[in-house]
Amino acid sequence: MTALAALAAFGLLALSGLAAAQTVGPNAEAEKCLSCHGDQSLGTIDVGGVQKTLFVDATVYGTSLHGLLDCTSCHLGFKPRRHVAAESANWLETAKLTACGNCHADQFAMYSGSFHGHLALGQTGSNAPLCADCHLAHNVVDVHSTAFRRSILDLCGRCHGGRSSTYLDSYHGKAALLGDNATAVCTDCHGAHRILPASDPASTISKQSIVQTCAKCHPGANRNFAGFLVHVDPRSPHSNFWVWLFYAFYITLIVCIFTFGGVHTALYIYRGFKDGLYNRRGH
Amino acid sequence: MASTTAAVTEPRTYLEYKRFSAFHRWMHFLVFVSFTVLVFTGMPLKYKETHWAKWVMDAVGGVTAAGVYHRIAALVTVFYWTCEVLLMVYVVFRNRGRGVFAPGSIMPNKKDWADIKGMFRWFFGRGPKPQFDRFTYWEKFDFMSLVGGTVIIGLTGFIMWFPMTFTKVLPGVFINVALVIHSNEALLAAGVIFIFVHLFSAHLRPESWPIDKVIFTGSLPLEHYKEERPLEYARRVQEGTLGEVLVVRRITWRTRLTDVIWYGITAVAGLAAVLMTVFIVWSIFS
Repeated sequence: MTALAALAAFGLLALSGLAAAQTVGPNAEAEKCLSCHGDQSLGTIDVGGVQKTLFVDATVYGTSLHGLLDCTSCHLGFKPRRHVAAESANWLETAKLTACGNCHADQFAMYSGSFHGHLALGQTGSNAPLCADCHLAHNVVDVHSTAFRRSILDLCGRCHGGRSSTYLDSYHGKAALLGDNATAVCTDCHGAHRILPASDPASTISKQSIVQTCAKCHPGANRNFAGFLVHVDPRSPHSNFWVWLFYAFYITLIVCIFTFGGVHTALYIYRGFKDGLYNRRGH
Repeated sequence: MASTTAAVTEPRTYLEYKRFSAFHRWMHFLVFVSFTVLVFTGMPLKYKETHWAKWVMDAVGGVTAAGVYHRIAALVTVFYWTCEVLLMVYVVFRNRGRGVFAPGSIMPNKKDWADIKGMFRWFFGRGPKPQFDRFTYWEKFDFMSLVGGTVIIGLTGFIMWFPMTFTKVLPGVFINVALVIHSNEALLAAGVIFIFVHLFSAHLRPESWPIDKVIFTGSLPLEHYKEERPLEYARRVQEGTLGEVLVVRRITWRTRLTDVIWYGITAVAGLAAVLMTVFIVWSIFS
């Protein structure tokens, strides 16, 4: 029976892939919800201190990977009517433990064991990201798509701004910003669901596994190679002394040479005009 | 009247001073092309957050393609650098009797320091313009910074091209340091070539304005030479070696056509240089 359902779901997905995106809309069950939540003037609701909109864009949801699902697949316990407090009060607390994990058990298990998962699931009111903070709730897209890969820098940067700016100074970051979709982004080194601090041996960036992580893209990577600093701020002597030293030396050199060059050039032009040297016939 | 018409239609011949050999001109052409390619495929990475960087990168065919062009231009750079250094070694060997730092040599000497001071006195109207031998101090600086800068930018470039090989011996932080050096040396080189030293001193200074074609044609009119490099002229007259550098240049439709082509290429390169300069200055100050 499950196999049959899976087959049917697969068939529907295949069909949705074949059909033009616009023709796939929310299903009849979701339409009921959208009769209210499709209204932009519906206002907002306080979720853990953050005002979230009650409006759901039917087109965005309908064309997302989850577009064929009922709203109640994730919004567990809600009924298609004016919601009572009992339905919504603790919904997020329940949903964060079950809504995604019901279908994506493997990913959810990895996430639960991760640094983010520990924080987000272990305590109420944590700022650590839940599934939907990275995958977006109503606009779930294919994580292998170019658009999603490109959005990862911003997704992580929302909380890890300093880290993402040092990443952008590395070749990976530069290439990513300028449109190279094959270059490493945050999740290629840190992992996605099972992100752990470097101090944890199980982390992809721990001393034990970093060489292997680099070798995914750089076959033959060795210990020294993995010692390359991805997150280094050349402008700060506290980030890495040697990188800062060479940076400071070059900035000083550039300022000196450009100043001398600028003054020399300006005076040469001044003297050229003053003595009428520019007015002479061509040589 | 008839003789004037005949003078226009007949090929005109001049006695000119041969400043650059075909070897020099070919070397310059390789520097010219590879340098432009390197700057346009590399600078967008330095200023990756700007709109122009994305625009230039897309225009050259994307990051991956730019990387390939950058490496090809790097190999051309290695080639011309090797040729230049071999030439320098040869010239030093040939001139060993006269001294490596003798007048007319590309090597810096005491007179350059005197010339710098003399030029500043001239700028402020407190003395005559210094007289130069074969190479002025800014030409020596231009050449030496290219030959020296290429070593620095080349080594750091190869560290980043073959990180796996270099980290067999060096710690990983060398890749970080290499990037900082490579990127800032590039800014220095682009500034020196595109603005202060090369574009200005080769073409825009009053004596050459608006364009100096000598690196393309190889020779310049004798009158201009006497005025520009009086010391070399006097030295050669005294040594009796003026004949070595005199050539007969005939102006024909072919030389005119070549002139037009070089004017065009230099103008395009000049515009590209100005464009890149505007981009860089804009990025630094925004």
